[in-house]
Amino acid sequence: MRKIVSLILLAIVALGIALCVMNIPFGAPKTKVGNHYINKGREETGAANIVTSVVLNYRGFDTLGEVTVLFIAAVGLSAVLATRKKKVEKEIEPSSMILNTGCRFLFPLILFFGAYIFVHGHLTPGGGFQGGAIIASAFLLTYLGCRGRRVSERRIKVTESLSGLVFIVVGLLGLAVGGQYFLNNFLPKGILLSLFSAGIIPIIYIAIGFKVGSEIAGIIDKLMEES
Amino acid sequence: MVNPVLLIVVPLGLSFAVPLFGLISKRIEKYVPITALIFNLFVSALLIPKVIQGPIIVFIGGFRPPFGINLVAGPVGILFSALIALVGLLVSIYALDYIREGATQLYHMLYLLLLTGATGVVLTGDIFNLFVFFEILCISSYALVAYLGNRAGIESAVKYLIQGAIGSSLMLIGIGLLYGLFGTLNMADIARNIDSVSSISIFVPLVLLITGLGVEAAIFPLNAWLPDAHSSAPSSVSAILSGIAIKVGLYAVVRVIFTIFGVSSILQFLVFLGLVTLLIGEVSAFSQNNIKRLLAYSSIGQIGLIVFALGMGISHGVVGGLFQLISHALSKALLFLAVGYMIYRSGSMDISKLEGMGKRMPLTSLAFTIGAFSLVGLPPFIGFPSKFLIIRAALSKHELLYTVLVAFVLLGTVIEGAYFFRVVQVLYFKGNPTDLQREEAPVQALIPIFILIVLIVMVGVYPKPMTAILNSASSELLNRIEYIRSVLG
Amino acid sequence: MSFISNYIYYIGAFGLIFIGLYIVLVKRNLIKVIIGLSILDTGINLFLISIGYIRRGTAPIFSKINIEIARMVDPVPQALVLTAIVIGVAVLALALSLAIRLYQHYGTLNLRKIKDQRW
Repeated sequence: MRKIVSLILLAIVALGIALCVMNIPFGAPKTKVGNHYINKGREETGAANIVTSVVLNYRGFDTLGEVTVLFIAAVGLSAVLATRKKKVEKEIEPSSMILNTGCRFLFPLILFFGAYIFVHGHLTPGGGFQGGAIIASAFLLTYLGCRGRRVSERRIKVTESLSGLVFIVVGLLGLAVGGQYFLNNFLPKGILLSLFSAGIIPIIYIAIGFKVGSEIAGIIDKLMEES
Repeated sequence: MVNPVLLIVVPLGLSFAVPLFGLISKRIEKYVPITALIFNLFVSALLIPKVIQGPIIVFIGGFRPPFGINLVAGPVGILFSALIALVGLLVSIYALDYIREGATQLYHMLYLLLLTGATGVVLTGDIFNLFVFFEILCISSYALVAYLGNRAGIESAVKYLIQGAIGSSLMLIGIGLLYGLFGTLNMADIARNIDSVSSISIFVPLVLLITGLGVEAAIFPLNAWLPDAHSSAPSSVSAILSGIAIKVGLYAVVRVIFTIFGVSSILQFLVFLGLVTLLIGEVSAFSQNNIKRLLAYSSIGQIGLIVFALGMGISHGVVGGLFQLISHALSKALLFLAVGYMIYRSGSMDISKLEGMGKRMPLTSLAFTIGAFSLVGLPPFIGFPSKFLIIRAALSKHELLYTVLVAFVLLGTVIEGAYFFRVVQVLYFKGNPTDLQREEAPVQALIPIFILIVLIVMVGVYPKPMTAILNSASSELLNRIEYIRSVLG
Repeated sequence: MSFISNYIYYIGAFGLIFIGLYIVLVKRNLIKVIIGLSILDTGINLFLISIGYIRRGTAPIFSKINIEIARMVDPVPQALVLTAIVIGVAVLALALSLAIRLYQHYGTLNLRKIKDQRW
């Protein structure tokens, strides 16, 4: 019964969406907004990666909201899992020597790779979120490979808070100096394609990289404690 | 002149900084939301006289719309953000003593982020930004409903989350279709070009957006999550959810319908939907024995009344609807705050267990009575001018249909009066009065209760300043052309 | 045939969306519902990206100083999808933590059996 009703409902919705999508041809020429970003993006923001300039400069407020959403998820997860009973510490079988050494060898390499991705966010595909996810995967490797090692929860919290504050303070500085707008790109734009270009974009992406990495590592840590 | 972007950024920054404050001292964490909300209230109150003359448009990053995101701080936006800051401030003073168990630092962070999300929704002028701040609001509320960690709380939070996530996904599909059709995400820009595509292509994103936002706004039939969620959450969270969160969802629906799409054909449907919601909410509340579920169903009914008023599409109707929104926010917050300590003292949410509260907690019971009477619409409380305005606006349409609908609205009010009177009767006239001593709620709870009572009586007796602000707010909502012109020039 | 090849991305994206919606509406196990939410999110992200595509387009990155501008795809949907993916992950993390606590309380993940809240 429930299946039939759901299928009918979905069929109606599908019909409606199909009628609407007919008017959006696939592969159509760019919209005026897209054109403006591609044509003017280099001079107005200084970043070679136009997606980065859209994410951090033109629509930087959305990115602030997104960072907040991830923060809420980490905080909410800690709040929900906080009131459970303390479980008996199980005897954890230590991992073999190959696994242990391999993980400890790979850990800084993965961190380095993640840092490369978010530092070069304005030059190559990538950025803070992608780099942060890679950093978190390094922590996941440590949890799975060398069992029994944990990251200090205090350090994760402090990193999260500080990086979030860096984002907001950089935005507020835009209010104080330069053109009096929040998130104004007030630092010099530099030469295209060099590392120190694009004003505040690399600074914010580094902050986001740290924040996302520490947040997802914190989420993994909390979930690992359950098992 | 203060930049309205600070209304969003300062609470956000303070909530990021709460763990750092917690490292310094555990005792100052509780005061961070209060500080942020005092700032918000102050700035909103300062901005109200300015935005009545004309909205303040803030360009984020300095890029003109539609190439950048902009905030539209008009009379509606600043009024809502003042309401959010006021109710949020009072409930956070209440929570100083009420929230004692669990991870309190995380509670205060989530609380402040919920209110930041709400403020962001009402101030933004870009539809994807609306989605992001709406998600901030929704996800914090999922986590706060589950805060106590008991069976009822977790179950309600799971059901709320699943329904909310489906709604958000539908909304995102609608936003994607809008971008594909119009090539821009700015609300004023979409409104300007709305006639350039066929009406069926407009209808589908409109329905998807209304469905997605309507889950949070608790419009029938999308409100199955509300009775569970509002009754299982801690009382301070229930006050915020019933008082602020569903109103902000309703604001988003109204903004989408009035400003972006500007359809007048859907308004008739809204009127009927509002009436159905009203009757279902009031009738369901009548048969409840759990006091918080009763209040939750009453919220559904009141949202129905507000939708009915806003759906009439005339200026008096919109003023009445916004007034009812403010009146319900204040009254329902007062009711939940009062009920919170009553439940704590009596140990159960059953109405019959609240016997004799009139003797044990006289001030709190008085607060409950005032809140109940205000909601029903008795003078001299704030509920009276708001309901009066709605009924007068409906009758001014001079159509037989509306006169019949007004009869149903009055029927709903009568049912409301019946069940609230039943609770007041239990509070004062039942139970053995001799063997109960006074154990009143603590002073942190009595301060916000007292301030709410004062506001309810003051605005009920002198509604003129409020209606002046609401007149300019309603003209901003109804006047699309003016909105488009002030944003895009 | 050219109709299919024109709209294949839309058909694929909406296929995922409707599979995800069906799972969320019909299935009983909470973990399956959460997986359905994840599939729904993936479908929506795919739909958003495919709106911005240009015929024979290339990435909007100026890796060399002189690169052809006219064939770059629209960067805005990619920015939207970045945000949407993160929001989807956030909801998923919260849902999974709620599932853990729900199992601790009720001992089952069958949504039809978890009906403590009566009318």
